[in-house]
Amino acid sequence: MSGGAIATGERAASRRRRGLIENGQAYLFLVPALAFLGLFKILPALYAVYISLFRWDIVQGAFRGLENYVDILWANATRAQAFWQSLSTTFTYAIITVPIEIGLALVVAYVLFQKLAGRDIYRTIYYLPYVTSTVAAASVFFYVFHPQYGLVNTLLAQIGITGLKWFQEPDGIFQMLGNALGFALPEWAAGPSLALVGVAIFSIWHFLGFQILIFLGGLGNIPAEYYEAAKLDGASQWQLFRRITLPLLSPQIFFVFTIASIGVLRAFNEIFVLTNGGPLDTTRTVTLLVFRTFFQQGQIGLGSAMGVLLTLIILAFTLIQFRFLERRVQYT
Amino acid sequence: MIRTQVLPSAFKHLILIVVGLAVAYPFYFMITSAFKEFSEATATPPTFWPASWHPENYAEVWARQPWARYFANTVFIAGVSVVGEIIIAVLAAYAFAQMNFRGKNVVFALFLATYMMPGEATLIPNFVMMSKAPAGVNPFFPIPRLGLYDTYAAQILPFLASAFSVFLLRQQFLSIPKELRDAAVIDGAGHLRFLWSVVLPISIPALVTVAILSFYASWNAFQWPFIVTSSEAIRPIQVGLNAFRAEAGSQYHLLMAAASFVVAPIVLLYLVGQRFLVQGVARTGIRG
Amino acid sequence: MTKMRIPALLTTLALLLGACAAAGPAATAAPSTEADIEITGPVNLILWHALTSDPQKGALEASVKKYNETNGKGITITPVVQGNYTQLFQKTLGAIQAGALPDLVHAYESQVADYTKADVVIDLDPYVNSKKNGLDKASQDDIYKPYFDTNRFPQYANKLLSFPFSKSLAVMYTNEDVLRASGVTTTPKTWADWEQAVMKATKKDAAGKTTQYGYVGTTDASYFNAMVLSRGGKIMSADNKTVAWDGKEGLETLQMLDRLYKGGYAYTPTGFEWQNDFAASKLAYTLSSTSSRPFIAGAMKTPVNWTVGLPPQADPAKGATVMFGANIAVLKSTPQKQLASWLFIKWFNEQDQTADWATKSFYMPVRKTAANNEALKTYWTSKDPQGKQAFDVVPASIPEPNVRGQQEIRDVLLDMYVKVTTAKATPEVALKDASTKANQILKDNQ
Repeated sequence: MSGGAIATGERAASRRRRGLIENGQAYLFLVPALAFLGLFKILPALYAVYISLFRWDIVQGAFRGLENYVDILWANATRAQAFWQSLSTTFTYAIITVPIEIGLALVVAYVLFQKLAGRDIYRTIYYLPYVTSTVAAASVFFYVFHPQYGLVNTLLAQIGITGLKWFQEPDGIFQMLGNALGFALPEWAAGPSLALVGVAIFSIWHFLGFQILIFLGGLGNIPAEYYEAAKLDGASQWQLFRRITLPLLSPQIFFVFTIASIGVLRAFNEIFVLTNGGPLDTTRTVTLLVFRTFFQQGQIGLGSAMGVLLTLIILAFTLIQFRFLERRVQYT
Repeated sequence: MIRTQVLPSAFKHLILIVVGLAVAYPFYFMITSAFKEFSEATATPPTFWPASWHPENYAEVWARQPWARYFANTVFIAGVSVVGEIIIAVLAAYAFAQMNFRGKNVVFALFLATYMMPGEATLIPNFVMMSKAPAGVNPFFPIPRLGLYDTYAAQILPFLASAFSVFLLRQQFLSIPKELRDAAVIDGAGHLRFLWSVVLPISIPALVTVAILSFYASWNAFQWPFIVTSSEAIRPIQVGLNAFRAEAGSQYHLLMAAASFVVAPIVLLYLVGQRFLVQGVARTGIRG
Repeated sequence: MTKMRIPALLTTLALLLGACAAAGPAATAAPSTEADIEITGPVNLILWHALTSDPQKGALEASVKKYNETNGKGITITPVVQGNYTQLFQKTLGAIQAGALPDLVHAYESQVADYTKADVVIDLDPYVNSKKNGLDKASQDDIYKPYFDTNRFPQYANKLLSFPFSKSLAVMYTNEDVLRASGVTTTPKTWADWEQAVMKATKKDAAGKTTQYGYVGTTDASYFNAMVLSRGGKIMSADNKTVAWDGKEGLETLQMLDRLYKGGYAYTPTGFEWQNDFAASKLAYTLSSTSSRPFIAGAMKTPVNWTVGLPPQADPAKGATVMFGANIAVLKSTPQKQLASWLFIKWFNEQDQTADWATKSFYMPVRKTAANNEALKTYWTSKDPQGKQAFDVVPASIPEPNVRGQQEIRDVLLDMYVKVTTAKATPEVALKDASTKANQILKDNQ
């Protein structure tokens, strides 16, 4: 029937109109966010690439093409050495921080999730460092780890370990261990400097609460019936943990792993306060190197190029992580 | 046969207490050291309990830097940031959660990309953009100059849009039953009215979470304000504390006093708003 | 591309937010006539400095207050601390980018060289020589010549780009009580004798662990430079294109440090904590800035017999050490502000002011005749005999290089120093490595 066809046509037209209005409205809702993200995130990312193509030594100079990148990666011995060393420091920092952070948080969250007296008090304490500002917390930490005035060395002295210089110690921990046991390790096996380990300890301390919080959330989502049923089947506590908790918690573990890794790769404030990249540049991560190159040497072009490289690395890292873990993570 | 707990309760408490002490000790050391005198604060080994109490340390620290100004600046910056961020994030999150529009996936991917973009990449260009100097010698592609160096705006604007907050709220808005929207449409309510009168009231915990997280971020911000400000008049608290670090040198008792009052407000806020923070952060975890 | 639309968006945004982009500083160079004008109205100046703590911070604030109240020309100066020297330098580089410079900035020589690269520093020669506002001949001669030398920049046509401000020098601090108790009776004249004295003053327990050190080595490029200079070496080649500390004197310095550290006679302090050791007579020697005097005196619980003076010398007839301390530069703004900035500097370096500054800040006076100032004389005899000892060796102080890149070279030297003192590299290797890097930096900065 023609009338029906017209009605259908009108309905379609009105649906299109509604669709158009809806489209327009949606973008109106998105405009503020898009404007600010565009202005302060997306455009600057393009500018970063632009700046990195110039000799920009305090003042903008000549176009250099990819020369800044070439300098950083291999051509300029001093700069290339600094960059690769920083990159290695950055990843070392991530490797010594993230697994411990997750493991410790998992154990604490697991224990904390069970019915225990004083649970809320424990929680309150554990979250405390996370909400404390890095500058303040790191200032306190520096003092706690002070070779003479801090508690850490006093405690270590009880078990016969003396004279650790923590944030002033450029020696690798394996090297120090080797020296203490009476054998010398080759330089490549020296391990992360004690200063970097100190920074890692700070980082673990500071973010432990966050990870616990996420894990507790995940634990709360696991239906109690699963445990009940398994218990009826005679599962041990370890089996409960291994067979129920861990798999069902894997989304949270994945989330924390990603967030923590990116957080560590981007870390700046704690290193700035605790070591400022020293001693002997053993805690100079790429973020510190970018900051120094840009802010302390006025080498804006080179600094930008490093920033771009760091971004690519972090993005690649995130994507690989995503791909690799996606397959293992069990979504419920 | 039902096995009872393998881990005895005492053992659990032991784990919790040991970790708890390690976590809490720096705070204890900060507060007690703040009351020590110089010679005691630099004694080896450190004392556990101050031999004599010196509350006047606080007065001395307070007189050395314009702390009141720093606090006021931070409260102002954090306040504007929280309100702005919520408005912007609510609108965007609502669009993603409750509206159908062309290019949704593309725009969402764009948001995700900005979320993954580390701040280091944009630090330098953002700084150049804040400049008050006329755009450089390459006018064919000048980087726009906002002229906001050393202003409050420079400390607020770059953080107003947070992809993270958008994701967090989107997740909340997605959980709103479709029936509510259908009912609203039948009542003739537009998106804004539905958002205002239905979505927001039932999303208050999530909003409070976003507000608290945003407030924390502002309160604790350091690197960006450190490089983009130069006058004391607009300096936020963390930059002020960093300045005091240089001034205090090895007078750790004074530094601890300063650190303690810098963290005090945020710790209080945390103790009061703990419920929202916990609920909210837990909610942002992947829920499977 | 969207680029075309972006600037419009930005402008709108900027306007919406009520932000006004101030025009950049006037980019005109200062012809000599600008030095001869008159201050016509109230002038407000911002001075960025790195004097983070008292007594220096308070001393500067007091001086500025006095100037603000007495200059009679409506000049008002606001001092702003920007953190330590490194942070101040970072801030200033940032401010150059941001086009929001202060009017006066406290800076080391090599930092001034960096700022000059951006063409924001005022040449002070026209002001110094101005008939109307300048310094007379007597005053110019009264200011120690090294203080002028250090502020002339070979890379920039020998212009006078900054002026002495917070000056000090590297001196050897000696705890005479410790030495006497250790059986060192005569003051060591050579580095070899000194090394023996350090070893004698070191005490170890039965396990061989050091309980009292002979020397503390603060890690700073300047102390290495001071040791090189005192051995008769040079820091930079005459053409400023290569470093000169990589010769015999540099190697001998590192070898000596290597021996002292390996033998447990010397240690590297965490910060300024060595001052407590020195004050408690648990340390014999250190090289430090003359500005450490008040901190050491303040840390003394019981009176200690201590002195400051030149380090051991290769040629005692003409001693040499490193001149320390920073200067002040005038940054481009308006002729009125630039002149007002200069007038403040000129006033600050008058005999009475520089003497007063010396008593309050523990920095060195810049004029020879300051020694005649009664207040300073009384102060030296009654409170600060080491201040006089330090002042007496000012003529022997030699400025460190002020070429671009020196700031980075300082990091290289620091790295070298740490590598040697932590036994990570032999003196030979460390020195060679450092000089290669430093020469590369100089080349990059040409």
